[in-house]
Amino acid sequence: KNCVSGGPAPDENSSMSRVMCVSAAAGVLSSSVEQKIYVELNETVPCVRLLNATHQIGCQSSISGDTGVLHVLETESDLDWILSSGPHPPYMVIMETAFFNRSVMMRMKNSSRVAGVAVIVSKTGLADNFSPHTTCPNQNTGVYSASYGSDLANCNVTMWNPLGNGLSYEDFAFPVFALKDENQTQVIRKCYQDHNLRVNGSAPQYPLCAMQLFSHMHAATDTVTCMRRTDLQNRFSINPEVLCDPLSDFNVWTSTRPLNNSAKGHAANESVVIAATRLDGRSFFWEQAPSAEGTVSGIVTLLATIQALSPVTQEAPPPRNIFFSFFQGEAFDYIGSSKMVYDMERNDFVIDLNNVHSMLEIGQVGLRRGRSLWMHSDPRKLSLFSHPSVSQPLPPSSFQRFLRVRGIPGLVLADHNTSFNNRYYESLYDDAENLNVTYPPDLSPDEQLVYETDAAKSLAEVATLVARSLYIQAGGEKKNLNNITADPKIWFLHQHVSDCVRLLWFLGSGPPQFYIGLGPRIHGPVHSVTRFVQYILANLTGTVTNLTESQCQNPSEVNTENKDLFSYFWVSGPASVNNTGEPFCRSASVRLSKAVSPAFELLEYGSPNYSIIPQSRWKSIRARIFPMLTLGVGVAVLLLSLLVTYFISSKAELLFSSARETPATTY
Amino acid sequence: MNLERMPNEEKLSLCRRYYLGGFAFLPFLWLVNVLWFFKEAFLKPAYTEQPQIKSYIKKSAMGLILWVAVLTTWITIFQHFRARWGEVGDYLSFTIPLGTA
Repeated sequence: KNCVSGGPAPDENSSMSRVMCVSAAAGVLSSSVEQKIYVELNETVPCVRLLNATHQIGCQSSISGDTGVLHVLETESDLDWILSSGPHPPYMVIMETAFFNRSVMMRMKNSSRVAGVAVIVSKTGLADNFSPHTTCPNQNTGVYSASYGSDLANCNVTMWNPLGNGLSYEDFAFPVFALKDENQTQVIRKCYQDHNLRVNGSAPQYPLCAMQLFSHMHAATDTVTCMRRTDLQNRFSINPEVLCDPLSDFNVWTSTRPLNNSAKGHAANESVVIAATRLDGRSFFWEQAPSAEGTVSGIVTLLATIQALSPVTQEAPPPRNIFFSFFQGEAFDYIGSSKMVYDMERNDFVIDLNNVHSMLEIGQVGLRRGRSLWMHSDPRKLSLFSHPSVSQPLPPSSFQRFLRVRGIPGLVLADHNTSFNNRYYESLYDDAENLNVTYPPDLSPDEQLVYETDAAKSLAEVATLVARSLYIQAGGEKKNLNNITADPKIWFLHQHVSDCVRLLWFLGSGPPQFYIGLGPRIHGPVHSVTRFVQYILANLTGTVTNLTESQCQNPSEVNTENKDLFSYFWVSGPASVNNTGEPFCRSASVRLSKAVSPAFELLEYGSPNYSIIPQSRWKSIRARIFPMLTLGVGVAVLLLSLLVTYFISSKAELLFSSARETPATTY
Repeated sequence: MNLERMPNEEKLSLCRRYYLGGFAFLPFLWLVNVLWFFKEAFLKPAYTEQPQIKSYIKKSAMGLILWVAVLTTWITIFQHFRARWGEVGDYLSFTIPLGTA
């Protein structure tokens, strides 16, 4: 090294400060360089991995993301380009809605040239039907098995979901994301059109637009393996990695006469009619489940029923109690109902199976043809009706879980006779439009809130029927029946729940999603939909008390209140002209009960009797697009920079000599 | 440590120590022994201690080859069949890769 004379100290300082300045500038510039290269896509929804006793389903990406050259799949020739003739595999497929079906996805699955799929979610080009669920939902966890009604099992008699393509139950080795935001899709399309379009049949040249999807899932193989590995991690690892979590949330239940919540097991002198519906749904993508016909029609009908019954059951209470229950997790092998039945069997619930007189379940009731409504019963047990010609099994319903342990008389109400009327069962497209909810075009949002759509009127009819039937079934007198009518305005609950609930809790924008999720241990507070139904029920059936906030939170201190029979909610009042929205305490006999599969409590992870579907865990899920250069360019840049460095260092004296020539001093 | 400047008796004792040490499940000692003393044993002109050094080197080399064969076989089998062994594979593993079988 040459020891060039440093000169006086200020020169050194200035060169040091120059170096620091450059490196600081480089630091600032480097973060914005990343922003100049990558465009993060925020409005995407992944497909995640779920497990069951024998398989893994869902999608998986590589641990450092999957990268591919963008290609928009709009025509059949695009499909050939991606799968066989395109020169730049692997491709990241931007799939138009029309191509998201089983045949295309299976071809993608079997090809090694596909790095991932991003599906554009829109109504344009949507096929007439799309159901990613299986054709026979929950076929192994219902009541029909080899030992009971084997000729009725596995949908031998009626295929309930014939339009189902089973995509949700396939295992994909590449990530599949859904693009829900139209603006973001435009950005992607523009990148594709600027760089990746074929010109006159010849391949596009580099630089090409590429996309990278990250959705690496921890879980693999099946539930038993995953839970075993989680167990090993928890016992032997310093930083345990959890691989999967059981699906869990809460059921919501209430009753016309309050039940003592602290007395578990058989309730003396209680004969109960159960009215049930489901609270959840699912789709191919994570946490997306608008489930309008599949779930919301049932929820709204049961809420309207409860509202219709509450005045009459106060004035002229029927001899039997009516127990209303909203079961969570029914899409995944009846999580909520199996848990409630399990608790009833072990005397761990407020009532047990000996208290149950009969059961009425509300299935999918939103798409009635004309004014018809169908009642389904189990052909083996026809205690309510005697119809020897009936030989069709029950549709998939929570009632089947009760029948597995006890021959309770019961019915399932539905808008379909044989197969579902729902052409978008358990999919992203089962939304308000699927239920034909339409408003006249000139209504303001407030007017829409109280407008009675045809769908609302139809559900109100069903609710009136259910309410009157329940009253009679509970032993009430026929003369009170005319007073029981459901109000069609209850429909506002679904259509405007996003506005309504945003006032009370922060749910985010868009319609509510009914996916069960992972429960309060992992996911924060109780699932928003569960909480929503709980509070609506408290509003419909509860009474206002004049307790203070601290009394509301500790009602056992107040001797007029009974926290065994009621739960107490501190809520803010409605804001209106003559009411400032003061908070107050409401008491209602509405409770939550845990909905997690009994298999996870029994630690029987391979159990064929209960749901054993956990959801995988992951570290990060994101998507981004960027322009891609060839490796050759990168290598060329590297060689060039080496050459330049060599050249500069060999001519260093010439280039960097100072103006003043001072004699060299050695240090 | 420069072997050039060592007397032959010290070279022999060093070689013997490495040879004996390798029996304590330390095949790398044998590898070092072979590589270090190869020139001494086979390429230098003969001296009194050289036949003994040669025999130690040969025995170290045989032990080394045996270890390499055993380890390669076991590692290949484990990497190939771990996923298929299910529970046993998981209990044998120190770290299990996430997200794959």
